Amino acid sequence: MLWNFSIQADDIKKFSCTANMTDRLCPLNSYVLIKQVPDQSSKAGVNPDGTIDRAKAKRMLNPFDRYALQAALQTKQYGAVVTAITMGPPPAIEILYEAIAHGVDRAILLTDRRLAASDTLATAYALYKTVLWASRGRSLDLVFCGLQTTDGDTAQVGPQLAERLGIPQITYCESFTLNGNSITAKRVIEGGVQILQTQLPALLTITNSAQRLAYKTLRGAQRVQQLQRDEQLRSQILHTVTLDDIGADPERCGIKGSPTIVAATEKIGEIGGSCHMFQGRAVRLMVGELLNQVPLESLLEAR
Amino acid sequence: MKHKIWVFAEQVEGELQAIALELLGAGRRLADKLGADLEAILLGHNISHLAQTLCHYSADRVYVADHPELAQYRTLPYRRVMVDLLSQLPEPPHTILFGSTTTGRDLAPRLAAYLETGLTADCTSLDIGPFEYSNSKDQSKSGTFHDCLYAIRPSFGESLKARILGPWKNPQMATVRPGVMQAVQPDYNRTGTVIPLAVNLQESDRQVQIQEIVRNVTHQVQLSKAEVIVSGGYGLGSPDGFQLIKELADCFPNSAVGASRKAVDAGWISYAHQVGQTGKTVRPKIYIACGISGAIQHRVGMDKSDTIIAINKDSSAPIFRFAHYGIVGDLYQVIPELIQQMRYALNSRNSQAA
Repeated sequence: MLWNFSIQADDIKKFSCTANMTDRLCPLNSYVLIKQVPDQSSKAGVNPDGTIDRAKAKRMLNPFDRYALQAALQTKQYGAVVTAITMGPPPAIEILYEAIAHGVDRAILLTDRRLAASDTLATAYALYKTVLWASRGRSLDLVFCGLQTTDGDTAQVGPQLAERLGIPQITYCESFTLNGNSITAKRVIEGGVQILQTQLPALLTITNSAQRLAYKTLRGAQRVQQLQRDEQLRSQILHTVTLDDIGADPERCGIKGSPTIVAATEKIGEIGGSCHMFQGRAVRLMVGELLNQVPLESLLEAR
Repeated sequence: MKHKIWVFAEQVEGELQAIALELLGAGRRLADKLGADLEAILLGHNISHLAQTLCHYSADRVYVADHPELAQYRTLPYRRVMVDLLSQLPEPPHTILFGSTTTGRDLAPRLAAYLETGLTADCTSLDIGPFEYSNSKDQSKSGTFHDCLYAIRPSFGESLKARILGPWKNPQMATVRPGVMQAVQPDYNRTGTVIPLAVNLQESDRQVQIQEIVRNVTHQVQLSKAEVIVSGGYGLGSPDGFQLIKELADCFPNSAVGASRKAVDAGWISYAHQVGQTGKTVRPKIYIACGISGAIQHRVGMDKSDTIIAINKDSSAPIFRFAHYGIVGDLYQVIPELIQQMRYALNSRNSQAA
């Protein structure tokens, strides 16, 4: 019963895609969910105690989402309209412009103070409502997510969103092909791969072993410039929405809608001081001393 | 009624995975602290005999769903069995543990969303304890809670561990990294109750079909079995640096090339090589970290290696705080010198023997 919960709850009738691409009444619609994360390779915003000050940290598109974006853009060759969606504070609009520069057709920013402190369950709910909003009057065929983010590292939001939407998921997806309304995808598992096939709609989480994101297109870059100038065009392409706009229940978002909290953080104990250091001398001497301590050559002997 | 701690006992091709026994070890400690029963959930086909093994490894009760359509892991059929079982119970288990494998990370969030309960990813430590909470923004959550699951995981890129709690609703769920928990010593006289489950899949559960499974692909990276791992990080400066890493690794007969996440994110090497929180956990005899700063995300994946040797230009890099031996220098000078001296030492030793 719960399997169809989302469809019943929201009375959307668009999951009835026909069997063959040429028979489709509507164009394919792909949605790619992306996130802005702190750039951990930059020293900016990193406090002395190792925590990150998100306000000061350099921001970037989550590296895994680059692969998801590429995967979504690949569906354009099947005629898909690609919508990028993000949730975050207002500066997150930067990554939507980035996505447009790469070729996505429309973009949606969900931003609302009541989303603060959302855990993965609350995030998946808010994104679920955003996807429904984004797909009103359209079909919902494919949803792409990065395998995980580099700030949360959970890989949970994709499957949680698939459950909300009541659609199948293919996680750890490395590549896929579309054939009519059917998708065949390669899923990376421990020590191998699975080849999976399902009817649309489906949600895919894309690994970082998938195809790399192509360069921004000239057309995309021009589009971004155009959008920044032309407010009317912007209002058609780039939507900023709140919980009220998408009809999301604030009780299920943010801290209220989150069944988990970070109760405490502690510094990880340093093993410290026990490292035998070789430094400040010629490389030849340092390597020689290392081999005196750790006779690595003995491991070569099996050859 | 006695609390229950559940462990999802993963098997592949009828073989119990090490993570299943590790989770039982972790689950046993939680169950003892809580005065709870430890229950394992085993799904697959022709796998009923594995239930006894789970009891030897301290499960008090094993639920077994043995069905041809469960032979290979698929999200929706497995989800259905779990959902059906949970909905039959008079009350939910206190805790459910999954492995942080491609299966656990696929199934656990799906189930947590169905149950609308909390799930903490990739834990490295678990405990049971009290929790006092007050929040002016959400009074309904305030209170003192006993016997909460402490799900402990490194927090992102930081030298911090986060303790994540969700005592408001059971089950409290977590996925646990393979290789970090200890299994208990098996007791082959130990018995437990085995409860077979009916499997009632719905048509919608069959949407995803497996066309093919390819295992042991030749290019597979055998990180978990290597005696020596040579890993490269962002300090390599370019993808070409992995040539040198590979050259050093190739000196050892049983070796593998590892990588830090930053090197993988940069596209220098494939994800299969990644060691760390979001990659693999390894414990080789020798781990040689080249140009790796040693962020916590990497450290949790390799700090149980017998001997860690770090090569890094920056003497203040965190890697030197937990490596056993460190060379401060340019890896492009140190590695060729190391290869040369190892070979020389081997040759002179062999010629002495001759």
